[in-house]
Amino acid sequence: MKWSSRSRCALVCLGFVAIFSGFSFRLIYLQMLKHDEYAGLAAEKHVHKQVIHAERGSIFDANHDMLADNVPVQTIVADATHINNADAIIGLLSRDLKVPIAELNEKLRCDRRYIIVKREVPAAEAEALRAKLRAQNLRGIYFEQDSTRVYPNGSMLCHVIGFTDFDHKGIDGVEASMDEYLRGQDGYRYVEHNRAGQEMVLYRGQERAARNGYQVQLTIDLNLQMIVENEIDAAMREYHPKKASIILMRPQTGEILAMANRPNYDLNQRSDAKPEEKKNRAIVDMMEPGSTFKIVAAASAVNEGRLRMDSFIFCENGIWNYGGRPLHDHKAFGDLSVQDILVKSSNIGAAKLAMSIGEQKYYEYIRRFGFGERTGIELPGEIPGLIRPPQNWSKISITHIPMGHEIGVTALQMTAAMAAIANGGKLVTPRIVKSVTAADGKTISTLSPVPLRQVISPGTAGLIANALRGVVSDRGTAAAAAVPGFTIAGKTGTAQKVDPKSGGYEHGKYIVSFSGFLPAERPEFVGFVVLDEAQTSKPELNYGGLVAGPIFSRIAEKAARYLDLAPHEEIRKAVPVQRVALTNASDH
Amino acid sequence: MRRGRRKNWNTVNAASLARWIVLTTFLALTGLSYVYLTIQLYHLGDRKKALETELAGLRTQNDVASAQIAALTSRAALQRRLKEGYLKMIPISENNIVRLNPPVRPNNDEAVRPVANQRPNR
Repeated sequence: MKWSSRSRCALVCLGFVAIFSGFSFRLIYLQMLKHDEYAGLAAEKHVHKQVIHAERGSIFDANHDMLADNVPVQTIVADATHINNADAIIGLLSRDLKVPIAELNEKLRCDRRYIIVKREVPAAEAEALRAKLRAQNLRGIYFEQDSTRVYPNGSMLCHVIGFTDFDHKGIDGVEASMDEYLRGQDGYRYVEHNRAGQEMVLYRGQERAARNGYQVQLTIDLNLQMIVENEIDAAMREYHPKKASIILMRPQTGEILAMANRPNYDLNQRSDAKPEEKKNRAIVDMMEPGSTFKIVAAASAVNEGRLRMDSFIFCENGIWNYGGRPLHDHKAFGDLSVQDILVKSSNIGAAKLAMSIGEQKYYEYIRRFGFGERTGIELPGEIPGLIRPPQNWSKISITHIPMGHEIGVTALQMTAAMAAIANGGKLVTPRIVKSVTAADGKTISTLSPVPLRQVISPGTAGLIANALRGVVSDRGTAAAAAVPGFTIAGKTGTAQKVDPKSGGYEHGKYIVSFSGFLPAERPEFVGFVVLDEAQTSKPELNYGGLVAGPIFSRIAEKAARYLDLAPHEEIRKAVPVQRVALTNASDH
Repeated sequence: MRRGRRKNWNTVNAASLARWIVLTTFLALTGLSYVYLTIQLYHLGDRKKALETELAGLRTQNDVASAQIAALTSRAALQRRLKEGYLKMIPISENNIVRLNPPVRPNNDEAVRPVANQRPNR
């Protein structure tokens, strides 16, 4: 059979139609029926979710001085499968990053694709290294943008500020307690890369911007903190105590103006710090307060109306056998007024004050002053202290607790209790955070004073404050705590330390303290100074009024000058410590 | 022969040809514009990326400088420089202090001014 030219043309056309129809069907199958599946597979290869890291918020003091900030750094990472000249790379990294060659050999001579060579490399160093790698055509080393936390003031305020870990999570201090605000929220962006690994900006997908962390402003005043830090350092040099804490607080609002502890550590060298140095002892250490606790017995007895400040109590001439155990005073006192019980710090008098209202009522007052519960300050790890309920008291507990034995309190609780005397009887929650603001200055949160309860009436508080002025006088136990030109109210404390092994008291080991406020009539700040096992040249000098009192005096004087408080009392000469020691063998 | 050839020539429809030329030119220009604009978008993307990188670099420099300023003006650094003698502190004289509530002054001009407590000699 012979095909005509027309038939041959038709046959060829049909062939083409069949072929192109096949292509068309295949295209429809791929582009329409299988579109989602193959688009997903393609996206997996080219589209990546890029995380946009949020910057952690800064921390400032009350005057907007920087306490914690971020510095951009680079993390040097390696992909061992991309390394083209291991010897040259190891040599260069060792020289520039100061990493031992043995460590680099172990890390880089393997098949792992993600190896962290060194963290927190300063941006300038990283840039120089990048240039050298490029110049020598070395591949396999990559740079990841990161940031690290820096603390410009080093060890100052270390226990309050705290620190973060490698993942920028707050671990201690305000960094931990305010982590939710400081952390911010990471953003993301879907990006596509070409075969060379470069981003194709044209094909950027969904994007959400990062929200940087909020800025936290503390109530701490760095100038007052500096005064406190200098004095606590001087005290460490002079008395070599095992531990020491000093707190300054504004009594009306509960704002903590300064807080320092020893031992301490440098926040920028936090990895070298010992666990003991990292403790904020003002809130995590429990101590027997000693005679500073007598304010509770006096305040409760007067507030209940059982006694007046001029009521006399017989103080048994220095020794009182109660419950089969003798209770001593440091001097033989006969009749003492309630005011003089505080001024002279009589143990027997304080015991009788507590007994005048009974165990249950006295216990209620202890709790109302905030002992046995956390103050609620914005710092992690605070302990509630230890106060047993009356049903667990021994027969002599009612005589020992008023003089600050058989109970455990924190330095902050003592400060808050003294603040309640200073501010007219209100227990106020101590606060360390003043406000939280966004980077653009918009206020997110302002923390207001939180008055917890009226512990004692304003009248009673005024009477106790007036009595405490006598403590810081030539008649009292803390004459050396005086600040010329100002009236000060305060109370000393000298507590023998408890031996954790035997449960008894250790001979010659004391916790000495002083708690006071200035000016006594209209207090601007309350201060608490405590030293654990201060070493004095003579044992008779190891008392709260002679060790902690002068420290408070120096701090209070400088703080008054800084706060520009006008002296309004006739200026008297300060009493030298030696003379106080000779004329006033003060005890608790 | 010449007359016969003249007979086989087709006439050209000038209007139709012009229409096709315009259409083809339009399509070609559209295609070229599309390609040109796409390339421009790529270039702008690269430029945007470069600017973003530059901005990030400037931010980094700014952050580093801020941290350095904070470190150099910190209390600890100032205290150190004061000890080293690089800074001098001059006490403000009383007549340069303006107080809203002037302090009550003792009558006696020779009265003792506020002083720090002395420490025991060791």
